[in-house]
Amino acid sequence: MDTEPVITKEVKPGARWPGPAEAARIAPGREERLFLLLSIFIGVISGLLVVAFRMAIEWLHVLLLGSSPAPGQHRLLIMPALAGVLIALLTRYLFPNVRGSGINQTKAAFYIHNGYISTRTVIGKFLLSALAIGSGHSLGPEDPSLQIGAGVASFISRKMGMSKAKLRIFAPVGAAAGLAAAFNAPISAILFVIEEVIGQWSAAVLGSIVLSAVSSVVVARWFWGTEPMFRIPAVNLRDPRELIAYAVLGVVGGFASLLFARSLGYLRPLLRRQPTWSQLGQPALAGLMVGAIGYFGFPQVMGAGYEAIDQAMHSQFAWKMLLVLALFKILATTLSFSSGTPGGMFAPTLFVGAMLGAGVGAFEKIYFPHVTGSLGSYALVGMGVLFAGFLRAPLTSVFMVLEVSGNYSIVIPVILANTIAYLIGRTLQPVPIFEMMTHQDGLYLPSMEEQREESNLHLEDAMRPLDVPVLQAAGTIDDAARELAAHGGLKDVSVALVRYPSGLWYAAKRDELAAILANPAGEQQSAGLSLGDRLGGERTPLLFPDLPLDSVLPYFERWPLLPVSNRAVRGAVEGVISLDDVLNRYRRR
Amino acid sequence: MRHGGIARLIDVFAMNIETDDVSIARRKLVIHDAAMIAGLSLATVLLFMATLFLFRSFESHRSELAIRWSSRGRVALAAGHPEQAIGALRTALTYAPANREYELLLAEALDKAGHTDESYNYFLGLWTAQPGDGAINLWLARLEAKRGDSAAAAKYYRASIYGTWNGDGAARRRDVRLELARYLLDHKDDDAARTELLIAGGNNPGDPALEMTLGALLEQANDPADAFVYYRKVIAAQPKNAPALAAAGRLAFAAARFKEARRLLGRADREFDDANTKEPEDLTELLKNVDRALAIAPFKTLPVRERAARTVAARETARKRFADCSLQVAQSGGSPSSLQVLSTAWAAKAANADERMLLRNPDAEDATIKLIFDTELQTMQACGPPSGDDALLLLLAQSPNALDQ
Repeated sequence: MDTEPVITKEVKPGARWPGPAEAARIAPGREERLFLLLSIFIGVISGLLVVAFRMAIEWLHVLLLGSSPAPGQHRLLIMPALAGVLIALLTRYLFPNVRGSGINQTKAAFYIHNGYISTRTVIGKFLLSALAIGSGHSLGPEDPSLQIGAGVASFISRKMGMSKAKLRIFAPVGAAAGLAAAFNAPISAILFVIEEVIGQWSAAVLGSIVLSAVSSVVVARWFWGTEPMFRIPAVNLRDPRELIAYAVLGVVGGFASLLFARSLGYLRPLLRRQPTWSQLGQPALAGLMVGAIGYFGFPQVMGAGYEAIDQAMHSQFAWKMLLVLALFKILATTLSFSSGTPGGMFAPTLFVGAMLGAGVGAFEKIYFPHVTGSLGSYALVGMGVLFAGFLRAPLTSVFMVLEVSGNYSIVIPVILANTIAYLIGRTLQPVPIFEMMTHQDGLYLPSMEEQREESNLHLEDAMRPLDVPVLQAAGTIDDAARELAAHGGLKDVSVALVRYPSGLWYAAKRDELAAILANPAGEQQSAGLSLGDRLGGERTPLLFPDLPLDSVLPYFERWPLLPVSNRAVRGAVEGVISLDDVLNRYRRR
Repeated sequence: MRHGGIARLIDVFAMNIETDDVSIARRKLVIHDAAMIAGLSLATVLLFMATLFLFRSFESHRSELAIRWSSRGRVALAAGHPEQAIGALRTALTYAPANREYELLLAEALDKAGHTDESYNYFLGLWTAQPGDGAINLWLARLEAKRGDSAAAAKYYRASIYGTWNGDGAARRRDVRLELARYLLDHKDDDAARTELLIAGGNNPGDPALEMTLGALLEQANDPADAFVYYRKVIAAQPKNAPALAAAGRLAFAAARFKEARRLLGRADREFDDANTKEPEDLTELLKNVDRALAIAPFKTLPVRERAARTVAARETARKRFADCSLQVAQSGGSPSSLQVLSTAWAAKAANADERMLLRNPDAEDATIKLIFDTELQTMQACGPPSGDDALLLLLAQSPNALDQ
């Protein structure tokens, strides 16, 4: 993968500007205050750029392929190939970082480059993706939109002089805005960015992501209207027995996802291993082959293919045609994407899913006439199935269908079919497609799938029952000595817990206790001092069983043992935990 | 002491300098942030205006393409090339998604090209968005009729009648109701069809063309009385309307109102001649039959002698009909009980009374006429419809008050 160069130097927007570190010192809350405001700006500007991006694609489409592409038109062969030549040259000499979909590049910016995406990359992504998709390469505009949004966020946050930490966080904020505007579905965009880019829920980032995504969608809808990208037909599930039909769709979708992923997994590294001169010809050759598919009968597979998705949803193809289109789309997308032509995988995935869904639905309707679900329902579920099976974003796949259809009666078929497809993909293709591509490019970004499935450890997983002496802070030194004697004396006690009337605790080491017992009156020679008086005002931190296990690590520098308290009963201890307990628990993992 | 005071003064001075530096830095920061936000706002506004300008140009270009392709689709559809129209209209919809007019045209083209299921699904999709749209419901009704689901077809026809229409709503609703009536007639649901026709007539008074149509359809719905009423309305509005006169005359003849039929058919014949238009093929035959009926029917208004003579002549016609029918039934091996009862009646003395006896005994004359009518009615059931004078006598037999004219 071509990613941004690593930026190590501090970015200084202006000479008179004090710099992020100085700004943080003199105005500590400045970045937090600006964060939400900038999220809105990022959303609005990303929305405008994505609108312009879509316009560029459609304009180029009409200009290069004509207003009504049909089989037998020579321009279907010529234009994608010529565009491929231009794309290869520009990618090689002017915009070296624009290859690929944009999702992995955004992830790389987030994890490696402190959120840095260059302005040149954004411009290149905009121009070359629009040219590629407009000329008929089988790619989609959503993933480039995501990167364009992330690039906008990176540019604005740099210019505002935000700290490195904030620069990093802005990338997913912009990514969500770009994807939301391209997909006209803010919830799905937010979920996808959380599921695939940052990999975890964080309240601090979530607010900004929502704000930017909603802002960008508002802008996009102001231009395009509130209509979804395809007209959603009537969706229904009247008979629960029909779930069997959806389960079959899940199986078919799972294997189609596998075929799609394996094709890309084979062809992409093969083409990238070829000599440099041949890589210059690959986009043109891919364009020629995709054009040939259109020229000889299937122009629907060229470009993003939203019109064909719409037609499939409204039963305008026979089931054989639908399955043929799905297969040719897999082939065309594999060729276009593997050749290094910039463009996304979202639209082709939705295309293949819609065709498979409608195809399976039409087939089942012919041979099992009692099936009552509309073909549109099957196409819609099919899109979710490929999303879950191929892109391996199960949560997004469910919410995408719900958001696009606006109909919750389809949720059970979606969950069933998506789960089956996801499990097939997970079992037969353990490495998800985006992760596979980063590995092919020599990068090892965090696996979002592994992160999702990773179970976090808590204190309750490592703590042990209270097995040390408990001394009363209000008691005398003699009382403490008696209690210690009951536990075998100081030689057998390495640490003891001291309970204060306030419900707080102190963990006293053997040395401390030995010093106190040796000199019960203390330095000031005051008789009648309690144990608590001798130990000073420091207390152990208040810990509870449900806290993350790693959160306790910093305290072991000071304390040898920590009490774990009950949240309901103040002062009650549920157990104790030491550094060894924590390490042992991690070793057992 | 003095040294301590100077040191404190220096400290205060240094703190003031430091505070001033922080204050200046803060001010710079605020100016920087404000300038950046202002710049960002300006850039957003400029970007918005540029996008808006491009978008308007883009939309205008798309609209032109949509109009161009929809025109091609319309022309292809009108020229009977629905497959070409489908391609063109699909392209038009690419540039003007959700354009209702194009969608309806495309669905129509799909239907005409034989893609009934696609067309049906397409319309169903449109219907989901606009369930109250009259045109969409009408198309769905037609498609359901093609698919053979008469209940669903009637449901969509009625939804279309009560749905929304642009512009000429009243006329479109009337046309849909007539289409529904025709559909119901095709499915032998005469009562439902008659109801729809009467509602259509009630909602559209004073339209002779519609009343002609209603008359014809009501005839098909086996409601000659209401059909006759509509023809009379047309004649009242257009006294020289020859088709209406002919249709009304035909109904009057069928109801054995021969004098009225003669008058109406005679006028129709003259009007056809005056207008120099081709008259119905059966008009001359009808006129002959009417004249013959008027010549043989034993009307109560006739002089008693002539009535008796006509009764005797009619009785002989009926007797022959009875004999022929009995022979026909016997040859086929049957012997309906109704004919046996008639046989007994014909064998009675009253069945052979001559003209003088009938003149003397009006009750015998009425009994003879009843025997004639019973014979015509029973023989029709046993041997099928008669012809010639028997057919005219049968018409009289079927209309109880026909002899009063």
